Amino acid sequence: MIELTALNRQECIRYLGGAGVEMNSQMEELLNICEKEIIDSAQPKFLYKEVTLADSPFLLQGEDIQSHLKGCDKAVLICATVGLSVDNLIRRTQISNMAKAVVLDSFASVAVEQVCEKGDLLIASKYPNKHLTFRFSPGYGDYPIELQKRFLDILDAQRKIGLCTNDSFLLTPTKSVTAIMGISDKEIEQKKRGCAICTLRGECRYRKAGTHCGF
Amino acid sequence: MDFKSLLKKEFVFLDGAMGTMLQKSGLPVGEMPEILGITNGELIEKIHREYIDAGADIVYANTFGANRYKLANSGYDVSQVIEKAVSNAKKAAAGTETLVALDIGPIGQLLEPAGSMAFEEAYDIFKEQIIAGKNADLIVFETMTDLYEIKAAVLAAKENSDKPIVCTMTFEKNMRTFTGVSVSSMALTLGGLGVDALGVNCSLGPDELYPVIEELSKWTNLPIVVKPNAGLPDPNSNTYSVGAEYFAESIAKMIPLGVKFVGGCCGTSPEYIAKLRQVFGEKHFCKNLCPVTSAVCSASNTVNINQPRIIGERINPTGKKLFKEALKNNDMDYILSQAVSQVSAGAEILDVNVGLPEIDEKDMMVRAVKAIQSVTDVPLQIDSTKPDVIEAGLRAYNGKAIVNSVNGEEKSLSQILPIVKKYGASVVGLTLDENGIPKTSEERFKIAEKILNRALQEGIPRENVFIDCLTLTASAEQQGVNETLNALHRVKTELGCKTVLGVSNISFGLPNRELINSTFLTMAMQMGLDLPIINPNAQAMTGAVRAFRVLADFDKNSLDFISAYSGVTANPTPTTKADSDVFHAVTNGLKDEGAKAVEELLKTNDPMDIINNKLIPALDKVGDDFETGKVFLPQLIQSANTAQACFELIKKKLTAENNSPVSKGKIILATVKGDIHDIGKNIVKVLLDNYGYTVVDLGRDVDPSVIAETAVKENIRMIGLSALMTTTLKSMEDTITLVRNTKELQNPDGSSKCVIFVGGAVLTEDYAMKIGADYYCKDAKESVDTAKKVLG
Repeated sequence: MIELTALNRQECIRYLGGAGVEMNSQMEELLNICEKEIIDSAQPKFLYKEVTLADSPFLLQGEDIQSHLKGCDKAVLICATVGLSVDNLIRRTQISNMAKAVVLDSFASVAVEQVCEKGDLLIASKYPNKHLTFRFSPGYGDYPIELQKRFLDILDAQRKIGLCTNDSFLLTPTKSVTAIMGISDKEIEQKKRGCAICTLRGECRYRKAGTHCGF
Repeated sequence: MDFKSLLKKEFVFLDGAMGTMLQKSGLPVGEMPEILGITNGELIEKIHREYIDAGADIVYANTFGANRYKLANSGYDVSQVIEKAVSNAKKAAAGTETLVALDIGPIGQLLEPAGSMAFEEAYDIFKEQIIAGKNADLIVFETMTDLYEIKAAVLAAKENSDKPIVCTMTFEKNMRTFTGVSVSSMALTLGGLGVDALGVNCSLGPDELYPVIEELSKWTNLPIVVKPNAGLPDPNSNTYSVGAEYFAESIAKMIPLGVKFVGGCCGTSPEYIAKLRQVFGEKHFCKNLCPVTSAVCSASNTVNINQPRIIGERINPTGKKLFKEALKNNDMDYILSQAVSQVSAGAEILDVNVGLPEIDEKDMMVRAVKAIQSVTDVPLQIDSTKPDVIEAGLRAYNGKAIVNSVNGEEKSLSQILPIVKKYGASVVGLTLDENGIPKTSEERFKIAEKILNRALQEGIPRENVFIDCLTLTASAEQQGVNETLNALHRVKTELGCKTVLGVSNISFGLPNRELINSTFLTMAMQMGLDLPIINPNAQAMTGAVRAFRVLADFDKNSLDFISAYSGVTANPTPTTKADSDVFHAVTNGLKDEGAKAVEELLKTNDPMDIINNKLIPALDKVGDDFETGKVFLPQLIQSANTAQACFELIKKKLTAENNSPVSKGKIILATVKGDIHDIGKNIVKVLLDNYGYTVVDLGRDVDPSVIAETAVKENIRMIGLSALMTTTLKSMEDTITLVRNTKELQNPDGSSKCVIFVGGAVLTEDYAMKIGADYYCKDAKESVDTAKKVLG
């Protein structure tokens, strides 16, 4: 059972494109309210399943994933969501207060990432003597987003945590993640995720300023 | 044996898990179990036979996921898989009395509004399965988590077969499904649709399901079905914790709750069914006698009409200029803001009337019902004079609604009541008939009696009939007030029906209307009024209902009252000068201050001057600050919202003066087909609105043809498209191509009349040009700049 008690505010501000902006008290207040509302409405859920890569060649489509899983014979598929009530909250808020909806949306993205981070710890504890790659998701680089549906089928995610895709392979509830982590007996070169796989790359203020968020 | 005779037995035994048995026999991970019916029918037949030997009265054919969507890449079609699966089960059951159920699970995609599958598409998918399963003895819908989806399924079954229907949904420990459906909403909605048995399956073990069944027993008189997992599963190892003996004993504890159908879900085997047979062998069925309740619901919110409940009346164009404008312009956001503000003011049910001669009322009703349900969870009252509009609204509604209304005229009774019955709704009965509104309470009571009797004959229970004894205007017919109240009291006490009354009419023609309204409301509640239809934004009216609920001992310990009013004084009004400046208010995002300042300015200034000299420069300043990184997105939007509040005031004034509302031009906005992320598009919309453009918002997941058709129909020259994901960029390209190729949108020389701007996280300038867009806008601010460039 994964619970969220606090959300990373710096991350939220980063998603909002507010790096470097001076906060005023009105904004502080809005962030406080939104953080609480997301924590209250989130229903974090997380699933994982080990797969043997040799048995599942369809998991290795594209060069990026092959390089990512180099040296791994097994992998763990994961999925995570903060649930439908968060989508409902954001949709509802858009009618009466769009500024608040945007902040809720960012906190919701932060929340699902934090669920994944807790999942990472859980998985690391299940594989004490192994080395794990970071999470790589369908849609990163040349890794086909269509695989999200296969991931969910293998994880039985609809039945277990209510997570589906639509015809365009987008996840519903929307604040959700699927990913694969390689497992290896040997040390793995820890790559940075970098900007190439970031959905914010077009509009990121860190990049515009010539810096990097460290992600 | 048929289903009816099966019901005469003390208990009906269902089978156990199919998937678990298949995994045990080595089904590879990720393989569809339904295909095995064709590739290895003997295995499936053998598993069915094991359950029959263990004592199952009904086996579920191996058809759970055999729908068009899930079978898409399997190489088989729905009828092949289902016909073979039913015949496998029939072969196993041959020579026994066991029945075969067509088993139907969730489609595998979320329906609107959370997902992108339309209700109507879900209906078609289920219909195909039901027709393919024509040789089964009954239909089972199971493991459902979305009330809307199972409603589509039940309607598809009712309209395409005459088989018995058994429904089970899947609940979590918090007594909700994944999509938030409550037990009472399931019972009220599916019971109303006329299913034959109702219950729960999967997700939890029998111990954990006890409170769910206990709650269900308070809301239905139907036979209850329980098909638990073999204890709580470990979600990551798929092992279950409860053995057969404990499983059966635990379910037996639910017999006093009215459980009739018992079986097993994930993790169970024939051993579990045999144990159930053994443990239940000497026990007797206890018919569940739940109390009669008048209640209506959405999927997640049930309103029990055991005390006065507020119906909000504001979604109705009668006498409202702006509302009529909004309907003509397809401005759904206007309707939604009316919905949201009434709910936050205290409305517990919303009346929805979108009747206007110039529009397609049926289409608008369906869209309004869906849209309102996507932003509020209060139950709705479908209000129209046209039977086809009422039926379309009820069909699209998720939950149990109220129909407003039927009356004592023969034509009305014979047209409306069958629709109410079919969809399991409640209905408002107006005490008038061919001869108009009777003067005396006696005559109105007689019409109420007639309506009730006709409803009962139609199969609509008394608790679903709400009588409206009709409010007349006190200034015109002063002595009529008591006739209304007396009729109401008699209906309540002698007929046992709930009562409903539109209140505001009473004060027509008098000064200080709110005082008359709230006094009359209080009198009516004392006489037994259950459902006042009022403007909840009028504080005196909502206040009267809340106070009455305290004084009549409904609101225990005044909890609701205190929560509604204790914060009133603690909410300080912002300390602003009345003459504070619009520019300051907009740049700082202070909505109330901005509105106040504009109201002041409107007394002495030309509305267009305020727009051009105050609002637009303020928005420009915020826009520049945003571009240079001095403020960030929420601040930009807060400023835009403030400007919007100011624009609304100006628009109101212009509409009142009969000037046409200010518009700098029409722009279509849409998130392209397949894409459901629409917050970015909505931000652009807020900004364009505030800069004075008229936005035709087509929503998300919009088909290219809808965009092109709207551009033609509304003569629109500028189109904004949004896509967030790489997968949906193709839809963006398709939309652009279609617009470019549409004859009506071309100049005589073949060039395009439409300017298309695009945006979204994964887009780049290069890509935007490559797919044929005219402009790439990296954010909402750039969209406004582009609109200015194109439309001025």
